[in-house]
Amino acid sequence: MHLFGWAAVLLYAAAEALAVRDLFRPRGLGGAPILVGAGLAAQFTDLTITARALGSVPYRTLGGSMALFGWMLGLAYLVLVLRHRERAVGPFLIPFILLFSILAVVFPSHAAPAGPATRGSVFAFHVTLAMLAYAAFALSFVLSLLYLIQNRQIRRGRTGILFARLPALDVIGRMNRTSVTIGLLVLSVSIVLGVAWARRVWTVPVDAKLAWALVTLLVYGILLWMDRRGWAGARVAVLSIVGFILVLFSYTFVNLYLSHSHVFR
Amino acid sequence: MNGSNDTQILVLGWNFRGASGAVRERVAFSSDEVRDGLRRLTGRGLVSESVIVSTCHRSEIYGLGNGERAGDELASFVSEWRGLDRAVLEQAGFRRFGAEAVRHLFRVAAGLDSMALGESEVLGQVRQALSIARETGSSHGVLHRLFESAVRAGKRVRTETQIAVHPLSIASIAVELAEKVFGDLPQRTLLLLGAGETATLFARHALEAGLRDLKIANRTAGHAEDLAARVGARVVAWDAVGRDLPSADVVVGTTASPVPVVRRADVEAAMRQRRGQPMFFLDLAMPPDIDPEVRNIYNVFSYDLDGLEEVAAENRRRRSREIPGAEQILEEELERFLGWYGNLSVVPTVTELKRRLEEIRDGELDRLPPDERERLRPLADSIVARLLHEPLRRLKAEKDPAKRLDRVEAIRHLFDLDREE
Repeated sequence: MHLFGWAAVLLYAAAEALAVRDLFRPRGLGGAPILVGAGLAAQFTDLTITARALGSVPYRTLGGSMALFGWMLGLAYLVLVLRHRERAVGPFLIPFILLFSILAVVFPSHAAPAGPATRGSVFAFHVTLAMLAYAAFALSFVLSLLYLIQNRQIRRGRTGILFARLPALDVIGRMNRTSVTIGLLVLSVSIVLGVAWARRVWTVPVDAKLAWALVTLLVYGILLWMDRRGWAGARVAVLSIVGFILVLFSYTFVNLYLSHSHVFR
Repeated sequence: MNGSNDTQILVLGWNFRGASGAVRERVAFSSDEVRDGLRRLTGRGLVSESVIVSTCHRSEIYGLGNGERAGDELASFVSEWRGLDRAVLEQAGFRRFGAEAVRHLFRVAAGLDSMALGESEVLGQVRQALSIARETGSSHGVLHRLFESAVRAGKRVRTETQIAVHPLSIASIAVELAEKVFGDLPQRTLLLLGAGETATLFARHALEAGLRDLKIANRTAGHAEDLAARVGARVVAWDAVGRDLPSADVVVGTTASPVPVVRRADVEAAMRQRRGQPMFFLDLAMPPDIDPEVRNIYNVFSYDLDGLEEVAAENRRRRSREIPGAEQILEEELERFLGWYGNLSVVPTVTELKRRLEEIRDGELDRLPPDERERLRPLADSIVARLLHEPLRRLKAEKDPAKRLDRVEAIRHLFDLDREE
């Protein structure tokens, strides 16, 4: 029973409804961020309960990692909205938070006790921060899609409802930059912690997943560099989409086929 | 549609459809003239309530009066007031009565009757017409409610349909596009090439959109200085345009120059200096002031007159597609208003008031033991009858329709007869 998990689902759904309604009203941040905040609190309680039962951060179960990812996504969304005082992206981003919070309560959340390689706070931080980084990159991915859609609308002079509701390119671009910066910093810390931890438990602290994470780091690093070198805009948006595809690849293909020691199931 | 004898809502109007510019000019009223006209209209007792809507495209006199007769009297009044031949006035204008008059006002407020379909200014003008009428004391219960309903209907149409979403004028399309590139358009810099009529119009539009940093460059420096002084802008020397380009976020071309003023190389250099920060070009000149090639430069947004005309035409079509939805909303609001208005007649109000008092009587009697109930019933009946007698007599005796409607409305409100609302 995920009482708080379901509460979070309801709160996120309400936030989405409010965010859509708020699009038609002028000014202010609206109530959606508050509801997302409440949803985050509920989901955090749910995560804490799961963590107590498991004796570790709940990343080893499918439901748990979905919950953790959704929670990070919500956190990143909240930071972006508050930092840029821009709510028009809410209706497009909140559905993803909602999706993961639903998967979190639907998928199983029980697992075998943690083995020696996956205990301890360094490891917990490593995984949690990696999740946060991927959540930030996921946000950047959605923002980049919105950027490209809005860019197309502007260039073609399509002044319809989507044009009117999506934020200005400059605003989406700045939000994207914040998101990627957060992701990059957090992923770097996560990699450092991961390598430090791996030196203790593995003989050789290098594997395909680490290599892939470094490639991801490089791509997003290039993205930020381009952003500062006058390529801000559609090109950065495209690169962010490519970056996220790499992330997805590392989540699926690398996890399943290339990395053996780096998988904990 | 109403039980107050022949009293009904009517409108007498002239708009861009039926009336020539010459006639419209004669019946266009300033706010002071509207006040004066309203006082005279109600002072002479031609109508018991009146509101006048006067904009550049229409003049409409709404009244509460005695059907066709009030219409004739209004027409004579306007003919006398504005010194226009009555036949000319009648031919150029239109009259609507009852529900048709109400529907007309709702359409006006929603922008369905406007030249620029769905435009929003007219809603403010309808609201203002009501506030002037209230100030002069010429609107009471009925027209007040009518105009408030019209404003609500107009607002609903604009929020529930997309009729006001797509901009129609070239300048407003350009401003909306630029706003969606920069986000904070008022903080950006606009460079205007040329100082003629188009430049003046665009400068005013930009100021209305909130832009504060305006620069003007013109081959004849004197003209640039004149315009700059009028709109509070800075002047850029004609031969310094290329050098000044990097500081401009939006560049608008309006000159008669036979060759492009802004060349691709200028923009490429400017973009390098701006470190890729977007630039927005709008070419309203013919032949072009801005090399059409600039649109291929990364992060440069460039539009010309033809392109924007196409957008405007497409937007007009999009707005027209919203008409059925808008009319649906107006019909709902119309029904709501007419429901309220119908209830204002004396007869149903009297019946409902009686029923309400009898309900109270029966409720109280039911609490008594049966034998006592029968004993007290005659007394209760007589109290109800006595209580009702005088108010109903006075209500029926009231000759002035507006006062009668006011009183009916007061009774309905005090005794809560419209409970479902």
